[in-house]
Amino acid sequence: MSQFNNILRLSFRDYSHEWRMSGCFILALSSVLAPMMILFGLKFGIVTTMIVELVENPSNREIKPIGSGRYDDAWIDKLRNRDDVTFIIPRTRALAATIQLKSKSAKRILSTELLATAPGDPLLGGSDRLPKNNFEVILSYSAANKLKVKPGDEIDASLARQFQGKRERVHLPLEVIGVTGPGVISRSVAFVQLELLLASEQFKDGRAVESLGWQGNAGNSGERVYPSFRLYARSIYDVAGLVTELERDGNRVKANVAEISTVQSIDENLSVIYWIIAFVGAIGFAFSLGASLWANVDRKRKDLSVLRLVGFKSGRIVMFPVLQSCYTAVLGWLLAVLVYLAFEFLINTFLAPRLNLDRTLCFLLAEHFMWALAVTIVIAISAAILGGLRAARIQPSDGLRDL
Amino acid sequence: MTVVYSLKNVRKERLIDGVGFRLLVPKIQIRAEENIALIGHSGCGKSTLLDMLALILCPDHSDEMNLHPVEGDSYDVARLWERDRQSQLSQIRKQHIGYVLQSGGLLPYLTVRENIELPRRLLNLPEDDSINSISKVLGISRQLDKLPGLLSAGERQRAAFARALSHRPSILIADEPTAALDPITAHKIMAVVMEVIRGLKITLITASHDWAHVYKMELRTLKQEAATVEGGKVYQSTFSD
Repeated sequence: MSQFNNILRLSFRDYSHEWRMSGCFILALSSVLAPMMILFGLKFGIVTTMIVELVENPSNREIKPIGSGRYDDAWIDKLRNRDDVTFIIPRTRALAATIQLKSKSAKRILSTELLATAPGDPLLGGSDRLPKNNFEVILSYSAANKLKVKPGDEIDASLARQFQGKRERVHLPLEVIGVTGPGVISRSVAFVQLELLLASEQFKDGRAVESLGWQGNAGNSGERVYPSFRLYARSIYDVAGLVTELERDGNRVKANVAEISTVQSIDENLSVIYWIIAFVGAIGFAFSLGASLWANVDRKRKDLSVLRLVGFKSGRIVMFPVLQSCYTAVLGWLLAVLVYLAFEFLINTFLAPRLNLDRTLCFLLAEHFMWALAVTIVIAISAAILGGLRAARIQPSDGLRDL
Repeated sequence: MTVVYSLKNVRKERLIDGVGFRLLVPKIQIRAEENIALIGHSGCGKSTLLDMLALILCPDHSDEMNLHPVEGDSYDVARLWERDRQSQLSQIRKQHIGYVLQSGGLLPYLTVRENIELPRRLLNLPEDDSINSISKVLGISRQLDKLPGLLSAGERQRAAFARALSHRPSILIADEPTAALDPITAHKIMAVVMEVIRGLKITLITASHDWAHVYKMELRTLKQEAATVEGGKVYQSTFSD
């Protein structure tokens, strides 16, 4: 331990004494590491964010039925319980799922599509709350924009039908409890709870809806069958399998399988390209550092011989370049992080606006910096061990004579 | 007097610039507190022999190579080399031998004081006044906090002697320690060093190519003979009592 402390002290004294040379090593290391960090920052910032957006976009995970079918609750529940399904909810006929909305702030009446929603709806993943009763609604960005309403506003919803030769219209006050983001869905849509969607269909079919006080014929007591559904796979990687299975069971469905395949291919290819660059960079970095340390040991063979002469064991001498390369690794990493942060600021502040990008172009997480440090130290130590072994092999008598 | 070094049929061969070099030591015995000088021209193997005596160079062959640095401690150095006991050799060297190089060999990143303290630190010796007293005797008290690069050649050599003596070794090996100095400075330094090592009862083995200097210091010299053998392919140098 005493010898280790001595080597620790001596290696640091030598390192700081030769600050110009040490500075060059630090610069050399950071000049390799900083571009790699910037490259990874760009890859992570642009590509990963883009890929994640594509991968996470619910429309890429949606499986749509073609035409009208007959799906009962048991079938819906069976799909809901599958691991590869994240969300499924019934849909009614398109004509029955249309409602007219009117607000105080907009003159026109907006004919809007009604979609049932429930907890876990991928389209409303960002919403704080979902409709809990028949008097709450979440509007799509487009619908809210046309109606000029915001969360907290009240709107008037109305449904019309021809019943027993007369035209009838019922009104329902709805509170806007949320508005989706502009990118979620481009159509004018009102998200309501399933009960209201079914009530709308019931009313349009001429049946009574007792809970809302809507008059009509007696309700159908038989088992409920839905013509359609809204289904989302857990991830884009589950879509193809689900489509195959549904089609095998006689259901006609469609999904963005081709687009998903393209996205997956982009994801894989870009990752491969990045890792090839990173691998080549890491190899270059290891060789650069290894060569520097090798040369450094050669340069210091006289001093190392003196250390052997005064009684240091060869095992401890190995530590001398290893410790010095650790100092270089940590300080070089620190400088590379500073360089990276400066470039990150410049790229995100000046380049991103010029490219009309609303997302951050370049960024890294704290764990990425820690990984970079760990990898740098591992490579530095591995390279230094070569130099260290060379140092340990130097016999005192070999290095002393040139002193 | 105790025999500190006992060498018999020791041989070391090297290839220097394509020419063979062979150092032979048929028999040498060095007694405790003796002051020995290896005299010869450059390239005759003085440093090679000193390195073997300092346990930093392994002989190619030896019938006997014993070291008896202090009463009660005896080492079969040839056997230790044979078994590659580098740690043990390092420990013996650290404890019993002080080595002064021609150019001092001070570590440039440590102050003079830290250089002198280094052998004591490695032996975990307690801090005492020995650094100050040896520095005072050698006339470098005022240079202790300077880096070696700021010292004159003479001061560096004095510091090198101080480092070699700081842990009170029983053997001091000096390889042409004053070769780089002017004769007056060289004489002054050696006079002080001789006084110190006599006072501390240290065995001195030094190399020099300056006959006058050696006679002035009253050192015992080893006989050196040189010859070209094997059809001129090998230069052979022999040191003996």
